Amino acid sequence: MSDHPTDFTGDVCAAIRGAITTRIPDARVEVTGGGGHYSIEVRSSEFSGKTMLASQRLVYAAITHLMAGDRPPVHAVDRLTTKSD
Amino acid sequence: MPLSERQRADFERVVRANDVVLFMKGNRRFPQCGFSATVVGILDKLTSTYETVNILEDPAVRDGMKEFSSWPTFPQLYVKGEFLGGCDIVKDMYASGELQKKLGVAETPVSAPRVTLSAAAVKAFMEAGSDVGSDVLRLEIDAAFNADLHFAPKADGDFEVQCAGVSLHVAHASAGRADGISIDFVQAPSGMAFKIDNPNQPPRVKPIHPKELKPMLDAKSIELFDVRPEDERAIASIAQSKPLDPKGMSYLLGLDKKTAVALHCHHGVRSRLAAEQLLREGFTNVYNLEGGIEAWSREVDPAVSRY
Repeated sequence: MSDHPTDFTGDVCAAIRGAITTRIPDARVEVTGGGGHYSIEVRSSEFSGKTMLASQRLVYAAITHLMAGDRPPVHAVDRLTTKSD
Repeated sequence: MPLSERQRADFERVVRANDVVLFMKGNRRFPQCGFSATVVGILDKLTSTYETVNILEDPAVRDGMKEFSSWPTFPQLYVKGEFLGGCDIVKDMYASGELQKKLGVAETPVSAPRVTLSAAAVKAFMEAGSDVGSDVLRLEIDAAFNADLHFAPKADGDFEVQCAGVSLHVAHASAGRADGISIDFVQAPSGMAFKIDNPNQPPRVKPIHPKELKPMLDAKSIELFDVRPEDERAIASIAQSKPLDPKGMSYLLGLDKKTAVALHCHHGVRSRLAAEQLLREGFTNVYNLEGGIEAWSREVDPAVSRY
C-alpha cells in the first residue's frame, strides 16, 4: 500500500464516523482502512429518493475537511457505499 | 479558498467545450492513479474522443475543481457539461448501460444477442465451469472488438444467453457487438483454445507467414508491396514486391478494395502500421508479412541478403 504522510494525529476512522454523524444524525457508519485509504459505508434515511451522486456528495461534504490540503488524513475513499434503508 | 467568479467561468467553459471531459491524475496514456486508470479504461471501451485534464499539473485546477464539482476526489467525469461522478459511479453507470446512454453510444439491443456454440465449445465450457462456484461464464467485447471470455461474478445488465445447456452472460455494453457470434473450441499452436467468429467485427490486418505467402505470390493471387525506403531496398528485396514509392502507391490505391494485398518491411513492424492505414482507406483483405524480409530470407529464399 502506498504511504500518504499526514499531520493528523488520532483515530482517522473515528474522525470520519464522527464527521458524518454530525452532518447526518441518523447515519449508521462503518469505516475500514488505513494509510490514507478508507472504505466507508453509510446507511441513512437521508438517502431515500436521492441519486447515488447526491447521496455521495452529502457524505463527501461531511468529510471535506479531512480530505483537504496537501497532507490530509484521508487521501482517498476507495469505496463509498450509501444505502437508504 | 473560495472559487473566484473567473475561475468558475473558466471551468464552466472547459466542461462545455467538449462533450466528454475527465479531470484526472495523469493523462490518458499514463494515468497516475488506479481510479483514474479505471475510468480511462471504461471510456476507452466506449469512445475514442474525450478530453482529459491532468489536475496534478496545476494546484489551482486541482483545488478549484473540488469546489466546482462539490466533490473532493479525482477523477471527475463530465459529460455534456454535467458532472456524473467519480470512479465508483462511473463503474456502476457503465455496468448498467446508463453511461453509454449519456455518451450517446448506447448499443441497447431489444433482445439478447444470438450466440452459437459448437459441440466442442459446449463440452469445454461444461468441463471448465464445473468448479467455479457462483461465478458465471461471461463474454465482453470491447469497442476494438477484442473478445474476453472468462469466469467472473455476474454483473448488472448482463444478458443471459442459453445455448445447448450452457449459460453465457454477455456484458450489457457488449451485447450489440456480440450479436451473431459463434464460438468454437479448436486446436491452436499453443494448445486447445476458444475461437470466436464475430460477423460484426470490421476487417483487420491478417498476419501471414513467409511460407504461406510464397504460394499465393506464385499463383499471383496477392499483391506484395514493400514499405521500406529505397536505400533499404538496395540492400535486399523480394523479387515480386513493388516499392511503395509514388508510382507504387498510385497503383495500389487504384486496385479494387477487395484485392488481397500484403505489405512487408524489414521485421514486420512498419508494414503493420501501413497495413492498418490501408484498412482505413477501405481495403478489406490486407496482410502483414510477419517477420518481414528477414523472415522471408530465413524461411523461403536465403539468396535474399539479411541486414
